[in-house]
Amino acid sequence: MASRVSLKSGGKGKGGRGSGARAAEDDGWAAAQAIKEWSTWAMKKAKVITHYGFIPLVIIIGMNSEPKPHLSQLLSPV
Amino acid sequence: MAGAVPPEAAKAAATEKAAPEKVDYLNLPCPIPYEEIHREAMMSLKPDLFEGFRFDFTKGLNPQFALSHSVSMGAAEIPSQSSETIKIPTAQYEFGVNFMDPKLMLFGRLLTDGRLNARVKWDLTDNFSFKANGLLTGEPHMSHGMFNFDYKGSDYRAQFQAGSGALFGANYIQSVTPHLSLGGEVFWAGQHRKSGIGYAARFNTDKMVATGQVASTGMVALSYVQKVSEKVSLATDFMYNYMSRDVTASVGYDYLLRQSRLRGKIDSNGCVAAFLEERLNMGLNFILSAELDHKKKDYKFGFGLTVGQ
Repeated sequence: MASRVSLKSGGKGKGGRGSGARAAEDDGWAAAQAIKEWSTWAMKKAKVITHYGFIPLVIIIGMNSEPKPHLSQLLSPV
Repeated sequence: MAGAVPPEAAKAAATEKAAPEKVDYLNLPCPIPYEEIHREAMMSLKPDLFEGFRFDFTKGLNPQFALSHSVSMGAAEIPSQSSETIKIPTAQYEFGVNFMDPKLMLFGRLLTDGRLNARVKWDLTDNFSFKANGLLTGEPHMSHGMFNFDYKGSDYRAQFQAGSGALFGANYIQSVTPHLSLGGEVFWAGQHRKSGIGYAARFNTDKMVATGQVASTGMVALSYVQKVSEKVSLATDFMYNYMSRDVTASVGYDYLLRQSRLRGKIDSNGCVAAFLEERLNMGLNFILSAELDHKKKDYKFGFGLTVGQ
């Protein structure tokens, strides 16, 4: 009702409000796209970090557990 | 009135003593996790058969931390259009780390082509645990991972899964009697736009385990394992896909002897397989694997040595 009245009242007003509504929708859509892009970027980085860092992480956790093994035990084959 | 109650109580006590198997439905045991419902049948009927030579060396630095080096040389199969299987000789080295704590388990295996196979199991509390496993490769879009959140109640287990490719799933299993547990699962695969629902049941006593599983993907799987004695158990498995009309039945045995473990099976696809693990010495195991596929005329033989725990 109110929107119909405002549409009837002025062409300029209608044009301005229409583009404003579209701009609000565009903002929402752009925000969703930005979140998707950032989450994809974060997942890619997390995958690379896991790929390179998992084994060193486990080695660090293992070398610091009790009783502490020596570094030579890590490298020697016996 | 007061006189009537003690005789009833005495009669109830007598029946309780005479029938010691009175079931306490509020105190049932915790069921097996949903994904391990076929565990006995899988262990007996699906040993990890391999082809070629395999050498595994596990070195424990700690009771909790171990490194493992594994070399394998054999033929890898390439999927081909024709009915002939094409085999390419490959050799690979795999470096692995294991960390086992009562609360945290970390497992990592790195191959020479850069593939990483990682598993994490973290018990946050007594009842809630987090599991993750992943296979990461250098090639884009070829890696996948899966995260599981498990909750263990007094006589039920619930699990939620989230995986790469927008794969989500949840499953629930409940002990209904001390021997029977029933469960169900739902999953949704975003990438293939598929969803499914499945049900499973498991009946086990000390001597036998029978399981059945039905899924809306068209899979029906039944299995039965009978423990004939301390050393011998027999297993049979039946898998039927009602969408693609594919049937596979297999029968196998599992001998757990003092120095060795021998598993063998025969399949309805004309496949006969056997797997022997022999303990030569403390920490030294010799393994032999054979798989003869008479239908496809594909024969695979393997031998290997495992050093370390």
